[in-house]
Amino acid sequence: MATPFRNAGRLKEIMADYYAQGAQAKERGVPVVWVTAVFPVEIVYAAGLFPYYPENFGALAAARKVTEKLSAAAEARGYYADLCGYARCGLGDAYAKEHPVGEIVRPDLVFSCNTQCGSLQKWFEEAGRFYRVPYFLLDAPFIEGASTTLIKRYFVEQMEEMIDFIEVYTGRQFDFDRLLEVLALANEACRLWNEILETAALTPAPFGFFDACFHMAPIVTLRGTPAAVAYYRELKKELEERIEKKISAVPNERFKIYWDHLPVWPRLRWFAELFAENGALVAVSQYTHSWTHRFDLERPLESMAETYTEQFVNRGFDYRVQLKIDMMKKYKVDGFVLFSNRSCKPTSFGLYDKQKIISERTGLPGIVFEADMADQRYFTEEQIRWKFSIFFEQLQKRA
Amino acid sequence: MTVLGSPGAGKAMPNSKKILGELQSVLSDPAPAVKRIAAEKIVRVVGHLPTDVPEELVHAAGAYPFGVVAYDGGQINRANAHLQMWACSLIRCAFGMALAGKLDFLQGLIVPTICDTTRTVYTIWKKVRPFNFMEAFLLPRQLDRPSAKNYLLGEMGRLKARLEQFTDRKITAADLQNSIRLYNRNRALLRRLYDFHVRCPDLLGNRAVYDVIKSSLILPKEEHNLLADRLLGALEQEAGKQKSGKAKTRVRVILSGKLGEPPALLDILDEAGAVCVGDDLCTGYRYITGDAAENGDPYVALAERQLTRVAAACFTNKKQDRPDFLLRKVRETGANGVIFVHLKFCEPENYDYPFLEETLNAAGIPSLRVETEVGSESLGQIRTRIGAFIEMLDAAN
Ligand code: SF4
Ligand code: SF4
Repeated sequence: MATPFRNAGRLKEIMADYYAQGAQAKERGVPVVWVTAVFPVEIVYAAGLFPYYPENFGALAAARKVTEKLSAAAEARGYYADLCGYARCGLGDAYAKEHPVGEIVRPDLVFSCNTQCGSLQKWFEEAGRFYRVPYFLLDAPFIEGASTTLIKRYFVEQMEEMIDFIEVYTGRQFDFDRLLEVLALANEACRLWNEILETAALTPAPFGFFDACFHMAPIVTLRGTPAAVAYYRELKKELEERIEKKISAVPNERFKIYWDHLPVWPRLRWFAELFAENGALVAVSQYTHSWTHRFDLERPLESMAETYTEQFVNRGFDYRVQLKIDMMKKYKVDGFVLFSNRSCKPTSFGLYDKQKIISERTGLPGIVFEADMADQRYFTEEQIRWKFSIFFEQLQKRA
Repeated sequence: MTVLGSPGAGKAMPNSKKILGELQSVLSDPAPAVKRIAAEKIVRVVGHLPTDVPEELVHAAGAYPFGVVAYDGGQINRANAHLQMWACSLIRCAFGMALAGKLDFLQGLIVPTICDTTRTVYTIWKKVRPFNFMEAFLLPRQLDRPSAKNYLLGEMGRLKARLEQFTDRKITAADLQNSIRLYNRNRALLRRLYDFHVRCPDLLGNRAVYDVIKSSLILPKEEHNLLADRLLGALEQEAGKQKSGKAKTRVRVILSGKLGEPPALLDILDEAGAVCVGDDLCTGYRYITGDAAENGDPYVALAERQLTRVAAACFTNKKQDRPDFLLRKVRETGANGVIFVHLKFCEPENYDYPFLEETLNAAGIPSLRVETEVGSESLGQIRTRIGAFIEMLDAAN
């Protein structure tokens, strides 16, 4: 396997620190706010509240292979096993007696943004009911091609409503200067993160998608804090050293691959090894690129509205195909893998048609495979291995 | 006059069974009737997926709004090449019908983006089997804050402009008010029919009343109003003739979910001797209640109608919380129990269920959940479970 990152230890520390803050928030009188991954968390940080990410909890549970266990508690309550695995982990943990990955942090407020999906809208609404706390939805209408003034205005107005809501809840006036500081920190962390991701375009590359899945926690959760900036500065330094010492993510890298969206968390290592054995580096995914924001500090709310409504998952067919192709070109990939993730309808529906179109337009070999990001009951190992072996054969033939 | 061309109309009042038969035959294959009507009236037919598109607006543009309700379950698998099998059967059925050419009588389609499946399928559909006119109606999903209304008004303005372009006709406020009146009239008639059904389920059973509502989505409202009116008249007359013998009291149930599909489910309820006394279905009570104001700004009227409709899983609305609604409905109607009818793979419904069930439970109201699919024919197990549930309610009655 590849040489471990010296920053891996630091990552564990800062994430442990983040979770400790969450656990102590209540004692310190800081309200815990549930938020979603694509959400203007900068407002939450600027208001001095503690943002907690139940999706991360889901990813953690999935990576530790306990989805089925937590899901069983949710299923016993009447949720179906077809729902998003993250939601089943989060809801299941609320009902479960055992907490194999630690207890999910109880919210004082539940904020959700549906740019990503309706699952988050509903999961969080149910959580609000379950924990008997206020629920606030930031609603992002679907954007087919280009966004419209109407949609932007709507989102800005909702963020203003949210700020009002926070002011009433905390009894404090919202500090817009503080928001600008937070946004500047977020910009810096996003810039560094993007540069880190871009090293995967080098040949051979010191860093790839599976590394990014590991190192992405701070950009999601600590975006807008000095901790994230400090972490990615260090990580970037380490990558520069690696480039110099010619330490590559995949020894004998022969191919670069585009991977669409989430990893299969409980199989992260399985896939990393499968690709490495075939000399293939998964170089890029729109998933890890989701946190490369750039906010305009001259127009903070408008800029946040654009950032958080215009994510690919909220866009139409052609836009998404083009985005994938652009990434493939930028990273000069040799093939692509589209993950039809049973948990996640908004990223998965349409992939079969997209595969055909992308192959036609780029001439690259590509596959769609079916599985679930969290739940191994939907993972048929033999079938998937077989599908990938054909894919790798195609790559070899073209080389 | 009748669009369905039933012979003898206009003479003696046709009996209710005959009118129901006409409606049911349109439901089983709407294409011939729709084509004939569109040709006679020289209008374009614009489809919409149920049931959050402001049909009044489509109507005011001079088009014929056609609700793509689930009526041809046989086409479901046609969608498989484009849409994973874990999409809900309502959408797979609609898309499958289009792919099979069964919706070729439509010139346009409006898809309300109310869940992940609708917002995703809209763009796939547009890519692989487009209609001349295809729009997503981008509804707000939170309904209780001032921003929702501002936005919805803007979005209706956008849809209006697109429709005007397509039909090459200006929509005036007067046109729209006329359409609103027509639709209100239809809702009022359907509510009267529903009330009749609750009073006299022997004459208008569960299957029949939901078929009438469903048919109102696919026939022009002008025609449907005539038929509904005739049906109501016939039923009242038949009820008057009935001997006031002792009719067996039926078990009263409320349905909760998205759709009462497949229709055989309603037959099962009829056979079990239960009467549906209310629901929160998108093609049921939620469709026939909530009129739009007939005076004032018609756009404001339509927006307010949308924002205050019966609670549904896809929308967040604290002023109209779903558990409260369901509880109130049970109390108002004196229902004995609630049956949740959940379409497989419809996650908005599924997320709401545990809390709804808990709310009912805490209030001592029995409930049952069944999971169904549009077009499915194997209802054996469901039949047994519903039968047992109704028997249990009957015994407790
Ligand atoms: S995995 Fe998909 S469905 Fe689940 S929370 Fe994320 S975006 Fe939503
Ligand atoms: S709300 Fe449910 S039934 Fe309706 S389209 Fe979405 S998933 Fe299908």
